[in-house]
Amino acid sequence: MLDNTIETTEIKSSGELLKTVEGLKSDGYRYSTMICLKANEGHDLIYIFEKDNKLKNLRYFVKPGEKPKSVSGIYLCALLIENEYQDLFGLTFEGLAIDYKGHLYLTPNSPKAPLA
Amino acid sequence: MTTVIPFGPQHPVLPEPVSLKLEIDNDVVVGVLPSLGYVHRGLEKFIDTKDYNQTTYICERICGICSALHGITYTRAVEKLFDVEIPERAQYIRVIVGELNRVHSHLLWLGLFADGFGFESLFYECWKYREAVLDVLERITGNRVIHSISRVGGVSRDLTKEQIDMTLKMLDAVESQVKDIEKVFVNNYTVKQRLVGLATMSKQLAYEAGTAGPTLRGSGNAVDVRETADWDIYKDLGFKPVVEKDGDCYARTKVRITELYESIKLIRNAISKLPNGEVAIPIKGFPTGEAIMRTEQPRGEVVYYVKGNGTKNLERLKIRTPTFANIPSLLLMLPGVKLADVPIVVLTIDPCISCTER
Repeated sequence: MLDNTIETTEIKSSGELLKTVEGLKSDGYRYSTMICLKANEGHDLIYIFEKDNKLKNLRYFVKPGEKPKSVSGIYLCALLIENEYQDLFGLTFEGLAIDYKGHLYLTPNSPKAPLA
Repeated sequence: MTTVIPFGPQHPVLPEPVSLKLEIDNDVVVGVLPSLGYVHRGLEKFIDTKDYNQTTYICERICGICSALHGITYTRAVEKLFDVEIPERAQYIRVIVGELNRVHSHLLWLGLFADGFGFESLFYECWKYREAVLDVLERITGNRVIHSISRVGGVSRDLTKEQIDMTLKMLDAVESQVKDIEKVFVNNYTVKQRLVGLATMSKQLAYEAGTAGPTLRGSGNAVDVRETADWDIYKDLGFKPVVEKDGDCYARTKVRITELYESIKLIRNAISKLPNGEVAIPIKGFPTGEAIMRTEQPRGEVVYYVKGNGTKNLERLKIRTPTFANIPSLLLMLPGVKLADVPIVVLTIDPCISCTER
């Protein structure tokens, strides 16, 4: 369980995710980063936003084989971290503003998805 | 007709490798594609083989410039997992070393920046003054680059009276030297010609672009992690975030210069209020749960996420460094900039690629 001073919202679907992120942007939240964790054969994504020096998290479970939607169309700065998780966890984000296709850090000869 | 010109990965103004593919039309940038991956070390994977104490050493080696603040952030994150409060004296020593870290980092950047726009004597001056800060850090921590001061539960070394006196003497000298270089950075005609109005980001754009540190505050956003609840100690030291409104390269430079004075003030105040007592407490058991810790590094907010599972190894460590947050802003800042000004603009985010790629 994360620090209970951080407000965390569970997100159930990718549609809800994009809608919630759009809402946060219009409420004046700054995109901070995203955490990716292995969880129950799939992955947990924790989106971290900041406003007035307080954090707000969204938690979204990515089912095995699911391609999560990119939020880089809403927050352009999300493109680097989403590309990082394509490299390190083997995820595929749909709708990335710039897609390095798993080669942001890694070369074709590197180990595949080393954190997966 | 546009031409694509590679900027980096090896470039005279870049201390570390990053590549930008610049789309140029008539000497003006119209598109940018950053490429990373030249110094990725897989440190978040490497910690699988290290226990949570050894991971401190890994975090300190993420960056040779803000090493102490990486160590401090990591140890504070793990202390959150253990739900322990370290001795007050240790908290003050962390602030002193962390702010010394910021002073030497900003002086390093000012030197590199001066070199970037061709002012070599100014570069030498900044780096000469920085040496005195490194001397003090070496005396306090025993190390010149990887300061290795923070440990889970406190700090590894106490401050002696001799070290405190040496620090205060150095601060007096550096403050006066910063006043000298400030005159050049802020008032020199040529410097202003190069920087004023260059690569301007509005307050809203910098905020929505997720930028951090002087890049964010140079556009009028008073966002500084030292004001958060995790860093209450800074309230006692009279901390005020440094903000400039113009959002251009000149404003980002002025933020860093003014932050030097702010850090010097904070160190003096921390020394004057330094409480007596222990500098570390014993930690028993293994970490469990999840925690997020943020610290204001010289380049901006660093975010550490740690997850423990009751074993000696952490299950997950994730680090979001400030340059990682600032690189996407280049996609917004560079279009419209002349090719000759690209190095200046890139330097104003103070890129640290070792941090970014880990």
